[in-house]
Amino acid sequence: MSATDFDVVVIGAGHAGCEAAWAAARMGARVGLCTLSPETVALMPCNPAIGGTAKGHLVREIDALGGLMGLAIDATGIQFKLLNRSRGPAVWSPRAQADKRRYGSWVRDALCAQPNITWLFRRAGAVLMSGGTVTGLAFEEGDRVSCRSLVVTTGTFLNGLVHIGDEQHPAGRAGEPPTRALADSLHALGLAMGRLKTGTPPRLSRATIDFSKFPEELGDVPIVPFSFTTPRDVLDGRDQIACHLLHTTEATHELVRQSIDRSPLYNGQIQGIGPRYCPSFEDKVMRFPDKSRHQIFLEPEGLDVDEIYVNGMSMCLPRAIQESIVRALPGLETARVLRHAYAVEYDFVQPTSLLSSLAAKDYPGLYFAGQINGTSGYEEAAAQGLMAGINAARSARDLPAVSIRRDQGYIGILIDDLITQGCLEPYRMFTSRAEHRLVLRIDNADLRLTPLGREIGLVDDERWRVFESREKRLERNRAHAAGTRVKVRGATTTVAQAIARPDVPMAEIVEAGASFETDAQFASFDLATVEAEFRYAGYLKRHDAELARVRSQSDRAIPPAFSYEGVPGLSREVVERLEQVRPTTIGQAGRVPGVTPAALAIVALRVARPSKY
Amino acid sequence: MFATDDTIVAIATPPGRGGLGVVRVSGPRALEIAQSLISRQAPLEPRVATHTYIREKTTSGVVFLETPVDEVVATYFANPHSYTGEDVIEISGHGSPVLLERIVQLALAAGARLAEPGEFTLRAYLNGRMDLVQAEAVADLIDAVTPQQARAAMDQLDGTVTGAIKKIDAALFSLIARCEASLDFPDEGFHFIQQAEVRSTLSSIADDLRALIATASRGRLLREGRTVVIVGRPNTGKSSLFNALLGRNRAIVTPIPGTTRDVLSEQIDVLGVPVTLIDTAGLRESHDPIEREGVARAGEARAAAAMTLLVLDGSSELTADDDFLLNEPTKGRRVIAISKADLPPGMVPQFVAPEGITVSATTGFGLDELREAIVREVSSQDDRRDTPMLTNIRHIALAQSALDAAARALAALDRGATEELLLVDLHDARHSLEDITGTRTIDDVLLHIFTRFCVGK
Ligand SMILES: Cc1cc2nc3c(=O)[nH]c(=O)nc-3n(C[C@H](O)[C@H](O)[C@H](O)COP(=O)(O)OP(=O)(O)OC[C@H]3O[C@@H](n4cnc5c(N)ncnc54)[C@H](O)[C@@H]3O)c2cc1C
Repeated sequence: MSATDFDVVVIGAGHAGCEAAWAAARMGARVGLCTLSPETVALMPCNPAIGGTAKGHLVREIDALGGLMGLAIDATGIQFKLLNRSRGPAVWSPRAQADKRRYGSWVRDALCAQPNITWLFRRAGAVLMSGGTVTGLAFEEGDRVSCRSLVVTTGTFLNGLVHIGDEQHPAGRAGEPPTRALADSLHALGLAMGRLKTGTPPRLSRATIDFSKFPEELGDVPIVPFSFTTPRDVLDGRDQIACHLLHTTEATHELVRQSIDRSPLYNGQIQGIGPRYCPSFEDKVMRFPDKSRHQIFLEPEGLDVDEIYVNGMSMCLPRAIQESIVRALPGLETARVLRHAYAVEYDFVQPTSLLSSLAAKDYPGLYFAGQINGTSGYEEAAAQGLMAGINAARSARDLPAVSIRRDQGYIGILIDDLITQGCLEPYRMFTSRAEHRLVLRIDNADLRLTPLGREIGLVDDERWRVFESREKRLERNRAHAAGTRVKVRGATTTVAQAIARPDVPMAEIVEAGASFETDAQFASFDLATVEAEFRYAGYLKRHDAELARVRSQSDRAIPPAFSYEGVPGLSREVVERLEQVRPTTIGQAGRVPGVTPAALAIVALRVARPSKY
Repeated sequence: MFATDDTIVAIATPPGRGGLGVVRVSGPRALEIAQSLISRQAPLEPRVATHTYIREKTTSGVVFLETPVDEVVATYFANPHSYTGEDVIEISGHGSPVLLERIVQLALAAGARLAEPGEFTLRAYLNGRMDLVQAEAVADLIDAVTPQQARAAMDQLDGTVTGAIKKIDAALFSLIARCEASLDFPDEGFHFIQQAEVRSTLSSIADDLRALIATASRGRLLREGRTVVIVGRPNTGKSSLFNALLGRNRAIVTPIPGTTRDVLSEQIDVLGVPVTLIDTAGLRESHDPIEREGVARAGEARAAAAMTLLVLDGSSELTADDDFLLNEPTKGRRVIAISKADLPPGMVPQFVAPEGITVSATTGFGLDELREAIVREVSSQDDRRDTPMLTNIRHIALAQSALDAAARALAALDRGATEELLLVDLHDARHSLEDITGTRTIDDVLLHIFTRFCVGK
């Protein structure tokens, strides 16, 4: 293999790029992974944590398909929690604090162990095209490589501009130069692009904080893993760190108010739109004046590093003011700021220019994934990277693209939302975006997606074996639940019926005599699946019936050449939206913003009965 | 389904009523087709009513004759500012069905297609000119027999039902948003909503839905007409009066007591008010099972009726049965008719029932006064309709399914279900409400959360 000739070239080794390279390489593609430095592979530029509500679901789906992120966090997590434990299994979500440095090097080592991956530590400069199709990549250094598919995952680097108070300097992230040539190259392709903003809080020196003042937040024991294939002994007995909780005070709020006109967010210096769900400290104080305090978590960035991440205090006030605010917090009077909070503005590609394969509509072979598509978050980036990597590898071999339906996975929702609605602000996954929430659970991510992963060659024999034995156990557990009677709280019913009562915990049913098979080595959620299936049974039955009804309509394809121009009764605005998104099904058309039920009825009529003239 | 891009024509006013009739032509070729039907040569101007004639080409041997058939007023509404959102020409003439039919024929000959029932309204809906509730109300409006029904239909067009539903929907939406926030932001250190509040909010949503559905029976009454039950002891002349008000023979009128064994009902127009008139079996203890059944049904009819019309036989003396009926406490309102005014009196009406109206089914004496009394009583029950009413069967069914979903959520809550389960039913309820108006509001649950609550880090 020539070192300049690849099936797939991936630009960027952040969370998106690493999954893309991993997936493509595991599927047999020759991959070139181009990134700026070996030191920043799978870097977490913001919070030292993976997972959380809906994000944890994404990680498990990535894992079920054969991706990297679940394995990486299981290997390097330093505190694990299952969120929403008090609620039903559909909304249980794992989250873990990561040792950032170890996480990055674990991922780098995993990629290095792939013989199909060639590292290209260079600065990507221009997309090479011939006749509208990707042929390769030119580096700023002057040389070039050829490839059949190119996956762009440059995160916040495109024309990145960092703000700290009135200081402004071009940078992809604090301390890293921005990417300009590649940005110019993408702009020149005529892709619709926009500008967004995100921010990160200050880092404090652990040695200068008196932790005895704050209540501790501890992890769960036993640990619920992210990966279906992480053996129990990897996590049993894992040392877990504590995080600490404190609250902001009136004094700190007053400091913000006094210097608000020095915040680039409030004085017009920042134009990009930031994420509403990650409000800056300035926003918290100014937009919610009635709240007298806000939560702050102190989170270690690793086991043996000095840096403490101040979760809840992203801002971009001047350095000196940041320091006064931190020191005004009780218990942090002597804290030293190691790195200041900052905001970064960057260019992104409006994802409505993409197909569900994540390839650009107008440029076959050119894929985009991660924050460059307007999302924020490691998990969102990784999920897209995985899918872009899969499809880049398939397209290099002339195989059709694969995509995941909205009722099949959060990954499907993520990508469908992006390409259908575009981004007006950074996009983050939430469980409320999932209309099929009861079906899209962490316990059944493998049942939903591992067969697909196997089919496309991403799931290896070991994972497949784990999966098959789990499926068999599940069958037996279902039969057991349906056929065994237990007496719970005075009532004798089948195990299945007992589980259907939402007020009875599983443990009580097991105590009453239900005995389920679980795997000793893999904490593979056997119990959770049984619990969910029977607890939600009534709902799931209704859901399936409704889905079948809706899908017969919504799956109807809209021909690629269908023209919305001149369809009577469609407003100008609706025509423009539909022409831009070019939905592939009636269902997707209905999710395009601004498309009314009436407009959708017209489109459906027209698709069913093309015009006579 | 039919095409939505050709030109359609139909008579737009209800058949056989009123002095004016309108033929409506809608679609891309509407102007051209209409122009070819009228004698005016200059192009019709938008929104200007033009007085002109329908002309008809007739052949007499080899000569074409153009005869002005009838006077009409033609009005052109250019798209999108028309009823359907397309080019529309409305041609109004006197209401003779013959003329209107003829105009339609001519339009068909000129290339229009006969509209399916409701197709103009469908196009209006498809073109975003009205929401579903309004579209369905139009059909009711066209069908409205009486002014009051027309007003109920108008209420819906104005969107009072839409407004009432939107209010319930807003409460539901805010509840949904807070439950969603509880799932997506479990560690914010505060509760977005407490269980007790979920329960009380849900209960009040269910109450509002129930109240809206309750208006449906009233709304339906209005649509279908109010019920007037005729009561009285056997053979007081109830059936004769029934027939007299009806204008034709329906009840069996014989001098044998107890002839009317069943409940007869008929819809009639009493001075413009639609009234369902129910004739009941004479109230009498009887061993005849058929008659007993009739008596039982009479009781039911009276319980549901808006008004009772008590008939006393003016030609005979007051009996104990009469006395019983007179003194019976009535739920609804009552009009007393003292019948058989054509026969020699057997009682002194002013004595027995001063408010009674003396009538004769045979001569028609007093019938108009009786009609006025009926209308006055049934109308006075119609308090001014500031509360919206559901009159359409589809709306009632959807409101009911929203209520069912809310009830399911409440029941689930009592069983200890958590938010992710409640939300299934809450979203179901919301979809049902949205189906009533046929709109999907693009209100982002997340947007609502982020503007109301300080969440996220
Ligand atoms: C300051 C900041 C604050 C953030 N705050 C949050 C937050 O609060 N919440 C949240 O969920 N997420 C936050 N994030 C976002 C999260 O970090 C990203 O969404 C995620 O890391 C994106 O992954 P990615 O793979 O798309 O891009 P990145 O991880 O940014 O990776 C980009 C990669 O591209 C490489 N690269 C760039 N240009 C070139 C080039 N020309 N040639 C070769 N390689 C190149 C870089 O070296 C890097 O490896 C924040 C990010 C930043 C920078």
